Amino acid sequence: MKKSLFRPADILELSAVYILCFSLNFAFDYVKTIDLDSYILKSYFRPFLEYQLLIVILFTFIVVVFHYQMLCRKKAEVFCRILVGDTAFHITIRYAMDCLLVLMFVYLLSTLVNVYWNFNLISNLHLVAIFITYILISAWQVRKYENF
Amino acid sequence: MKIFKYFISKIFLRKAVLGISMILLLCMANYITFTSSRSILSTFQGYQETKYINQEGNYIANLDPDSHMDMGLINENGTQAVYSYLNSYYNYAFYVDGFIVSVPNVDDMEVHLSYMNEKYYKLKQFELLQGVDLSFDYQLDDEIPVLVGKGLSKTYPVGSTIRIEESAIGLPITLKVKGVLKQNAYHSNYYALNSKTYYNFSILFPVNKDFINHANIDLQLNGLMDITILQTSEEGVADLSEVLKDNLGLDFNFFSQKENYDYFNEYYLHSLKIMATITFVLLAVITCISVWNALVSVRLMLKDFTINLLVGLSYSKLRKIFYIYFGMLSFINLAVVFIFTAFNRYGCWIRKDATFVTYGLFGLIGMDWLALLVVVLLDIIIGIMIVETMLRKIKRIPISLGVLQ
Repeated sequence: MKKSLFRPADILELSAVYILCFSLNFAFDYVKTIDLDSYILKSYFRPFLEYQLLIVILFTFIVVVFHYQMLCRKKAEVFCRILVGDTAFHITIRYAMDCLLVLMFVYLLSTLVNVYWNFNLISNLHLVAIFITYILISAWQVRKYENF
Repeated sequence: MKIFKYFISKIFLRKAVLGISMILLLCMANYITFTSSRSILSTFQGYQETKYINQEGNYIANLDPDSHMDMGLINENGTQAVYSYLNSYYNYAFYVDGFIVSVPNVDDMEVHLSYMNEKYYKLKQFELLQGVDLSFDYQLDDEIPVLVGKGLSKTYPVGSTIRIEESAIGLPITLKVKGVLKQNAYHSNYYALNSKTYYNFSILFPVNKDFINHANIDLQLNGLMDITILQTSEEGVADLSEVLKDNLGLDFNFFSQKENYDYFNEYYLHSLKIMATITFVLLAVITCISVWNALVSVRLMLKDFTINLLVGLSYSKLRKIFYIYFGMLSFINLAVVFIFTAFNRYGCWIRKDATFVTYGLFGLIGMDWLALLVVVLLDIIIGIMIVETMLRKIKRIPISLGVLQ
């Protein structure tokens, strides 16, 4: 953690946005399992459940916002680290690893919750794939800061 | 205006990711609010409508869910006996819809027949656009006076006739259009008050005792399912239940005004409360994320804001710029919700879904406009929260520090 671009507040922030995305997906899965006898509630949930994947994917944009602001804020720090001997490659790897660690931690938490509620364990996997894509794209951006 | 253009092109658009995320968050908040408001409004419209029928002394019939319906045991003699008993001892409101007939029209829609007797017609108090009220005093071999929906009135104006080959009495009949219903006249489902069928492509068919006696078993039996017994008592409906059981082998429940209100309070109000709570929680979460997004924007654009403040931009002018910017984002979202709703309404026309087809400004009906108004109010509240939070954050940072950053 010593050489990481992440501060504790950043880790908390990233965890929070991941948790929000997984929670939204979990909420949809939960609503699907409820045996609703109310027509009003059924018709209320129907349009949301129909577009579950789209809504969840759009919601993951808050993770993009996190990566974007994180990189914007750390621009100078990345350049300074390179000035004092660090390499863009190592910074990129560390950044990606930190993000992946937080993602793995939150994913494990969500898996535990899914196990507890007997939900499908692979229902969250598409989110993991999306987040890994975001991490790779943002890690690629870190390398660009080599030339400040 | 010049400074606003500068802020948009040189500051906000340079960090477009934040603007896009704000649009997406607002879009979710708007869609949730719109859906919930429309559901609640639609339920209360249905509730208002049932008030005409659900009066003291009236009992609404409902087939017991545990009653097994064996069509082999039900015959015309049984239903005739029930209607003879009803005609002798009770006043009742009769209503059946959903019978589709082949009636050519310029919009090529399926036409639905809604059968109702005089008591139901008077209780419901239909509003007419043209023509006169229904008359229930007619002979089956004469032209039968009917009302048509606005959509159908284009092909069949007041005074025209409609020939129906397959009617509920098994003979071709001729209908005479006596009046046109107000646009978007509707009927709410008693058991799903938020669900409506619109009469724009329906024919309101008057039913008298002679017609019921000659009608086929489908119409007679369907008519009993939602029949409302007027000005009667518990004992009265208990006797009728026995007659229904003896002649048709079916168990019917009859619900009084108090039972219907209790059911509404228990079932609908409970559902509406759950819906309102879910909406509130989701909106609170989305608002918090939007505030976080706004604070991220301040964090990233602080340098630009403070430089402008240093060279003479006042906080009140900055506040104004933020409000205009947020107003623009809200407008984009409102336009999205508006287009989505208009497209959904238009979809009914494309699918030729006659019971859901509606008329209105840009395809939206009153309920949609009211829900949009609620969305506008919500956007104003969220906007005030976000802009004031952003400004408080900016004010807390000294200008010199901001410029240094």
